[in-house]
Formats: sequence, structure tokens, C-alpha cells
Amino acid sequence: MGYYDVDDILADSAEFSCKFQYDMPGLGYLAGNPGRAIDKNARLDLPLWLARILAIVGGSEDEYDTEEAVPFVELLPPEIFSPKVINAIKADPTAIDLHSISSHFLTLSLKWIALFGDEDLASICSSMTLLRALEINAHASSVNFASTAEIASPFLLTLDESEKKLYRRSHEAYREHKRWMVER
Amino acid sequence: MYGDLANKLVLEAKRTKQLNGRNNQRYALPMYHEELVQGILREVNQLKRNSEFLKDQQQLALMDDKISKCQYFVTLLCMERNKRCLLAYQKVRSDILNSLAWENNGLDIMSGLIGAEQDTSDLSHQEQDYLKEYTELLTELKSGELADIDLSGSLTPPSDVFIDVRVLKDAGEIQTEYGAFNLIKDSQFFVRQSDVERLIQQGYLQKI
Repeated sequence: MGYYDVDDILADSAEFSCKFQYDMPGLGYLAGNPGRAIDKNARLDLPLWLARILAIVGGSEDEYDTEEAVPFVELLPPEIFSPKVINAIKADPTAIDLHSISSHFLTLSLKWIALFGDEDLASICSSMTLLRALEINAHASSVNFASTAEIASPFLLTLDESEKKLYRRSHEAYREHKRWMVER
Repeated sequence: MYGDLANKLVLEAKRTKQLNGRNNQRYALPMYHEELVQGILREVNQLKRNSEFLKDQQQLALMDDKISKCQYFVTLLCMERNKRCLLAYQKVRSDILNSLAWENNGLDIMSGLIGAEQDTSDLSHQEQDYLKEYTELLTELKSGELADIDLSGSLTPPSDVFIDVRVLKDAGEIQTEYGAFNLIKDSQFFVRQSDVERLIQQGYLQKI
């Protein structure tokens, strides 16, 4: 996490579907046809770095209408947090293939939770992270000292980017530890 | 769509990082993507023109306030995004350059690069300048107040006083306490480790 974090930048480019709340002339290039307008209620996949701000910033501030300002776009419930996925996580956190859902699932869920204060999703994700971390640790600890080439187990192919980082770190730590034990 | 080029650049940075993460002994940089970077800069210039145009229109109040505001926001965000991607790409590369500078300590890095694992032509001009100046800073640091400490020495404690080494590159004759060695490629010597530490780091010798 940080301004220069490459993974964070890549996660930010994930696209979420949004609904425009206003008619927007001149923004057609977002939809791939420059020069045209985007109609009200048009659905469009926007990258998170764009959608995040547009979903917060309102059209008209409290100058003449007392109503709450309607943001430029409305973020629709994204595919990756659909009930289907959430139920699959609830059923068995270690069996779900996070990588195929999104390779930055955890980073994205963090951003989403921060954006909407979604407590249910937060508790589900945190318990999933815990359970999966245990599983990752179990996989990482089985170090074969002779061969560094790892035999990819099906579980390891389901890790998202941040989990892969965790796996690599703990694997390295176990290996270093073993080397130290042998050399002594 | 704006930002697509920048995305490509970040993917490239990610690949560079992965390549260097795998073999953490040797650092190497792939080609500098001059074309992509120029493309992104052109995009930013265009966005800048757009935003200035929008600002003018807003002052003339030709358009609905919130619509022009939204358009303005989108151009600004695209610029921000491009900036972040460019900076992140450069950061990944300069981090690797820094570690290169630390590893090839004392050695004039630009001459060391030729024939070494890093090809100078893969760096942009600015990066070459950066590397040169960073190396100068390093040598200054090492020869200044901290001259007594070997800052770039190996961090792993030696296992033996004397070691076998093999010569990887011709390096001429060196003088040690135990006589002179003529370092000819592919020959082997039994020498004191502290005498040849530097040469191992610079890649002239290999420990067996």
C-alpha cells in the first residue's frame, strides 16, 4: 500500500460498472465513442480510480437545492461481491478460487469496504483472510530443502496477489530457518 | 480510453519487479519504454489542453455548471492516474539502479556496466545521469566521515579465513600479503577471503 505500490495501481484499474445520474455531453470517449454524450442511466464499466471519485463528488452543492447532492455516477454492486461469491466464501473460505474472481480480490475488497463502510463484507473478508492465511502457512511450511522448484498444489493457484506475496514470504522464512538449522 | 497506455507501463513495472524478485542476487533492468512514456506524456498534454478549454467554458458559463464540473473532474483524474503510473514505473527502475550502485561499490559504474549484466543502452539518458550521480554520492559518503566502516561489505559472516576462488574475468596482477597473483581467466587460487572480498563483489572472482 502506498503511492508507488505497483500492485495497488493495478488493483485500481479494475473496472466496476456504474450508472450515470446525469446526461453528460462530451464524455462519450469513456464509452468508446468520442464526441457523443452519455445519457442519464447509461451503464458503463469505469476503472476504479475514476469511478471512486465520481461516485463521491456530487453534481450540485447546497447552493439552491436543499436535497442531498446526487453524485455523478452510482456504483452498482460489482460482480466480484455478488451473493454467489459471498455465499461461496461463507461455505468454505479455503476452497474458493479467488484468483479467477479477481487477482486483486483482497485489495479491492479493502477499497470497497472503505468506500461504503460495508461491515458485513468486512467481517466475512477478515475471517476468510485468517482461515486462508492458516492454509497458506501450512503449504509454505512444507519445504523440500533439496528442490526449490515448488510443486503447484491446486490451492496455491487460487491465491490472489497479496496472498501470493504472503506465501512467498513465509516460504522464504521457513527455508531460511531450515538452512540455519542445518548449517549449525 | 485515457489511462490504457499507463496501465501497460505499470504491467511492465510489475514484470520487472517479478524478474528481479526471483533471482535476488543479480539486478537487471529491461529496456526503457521510451515510446510508451512519450505516448503517455502526449496524452497528459492533450488532457491539459482539454481542462484549460473546460475552464474557459466554465468562466463563460456556456454550459451547465455540474456537467462542466464533471468533465473537468474526469480530465483531472485521468491526469492524476497517468502521473501516478509514470512515477511508479520510474520508482521501480530507480530502486533497482540504487541497488546496482550499492553492489558495484567503488567501481566506476558506467564502465562496469559494459559487458556486465546490465546493458547501458537499456537505460534512458536521465537514468544514466541519475546512476552516475547516485554513485558519486555513494563514494562521497563512503570516503567522508564514514571512511572507517566498510558500508558495502558483505553481510554474511565468513566461514573460513582462506577460500578457493576461480577467476571469471581477466583482472591483471594483484598484490597481497602472501605474494602476487596473476588473475587470468579460468585459473584457481587459494587466497585469504578478506583480500579478495571486493573482487568477488565486483564479479571478477567466484567463490568455489
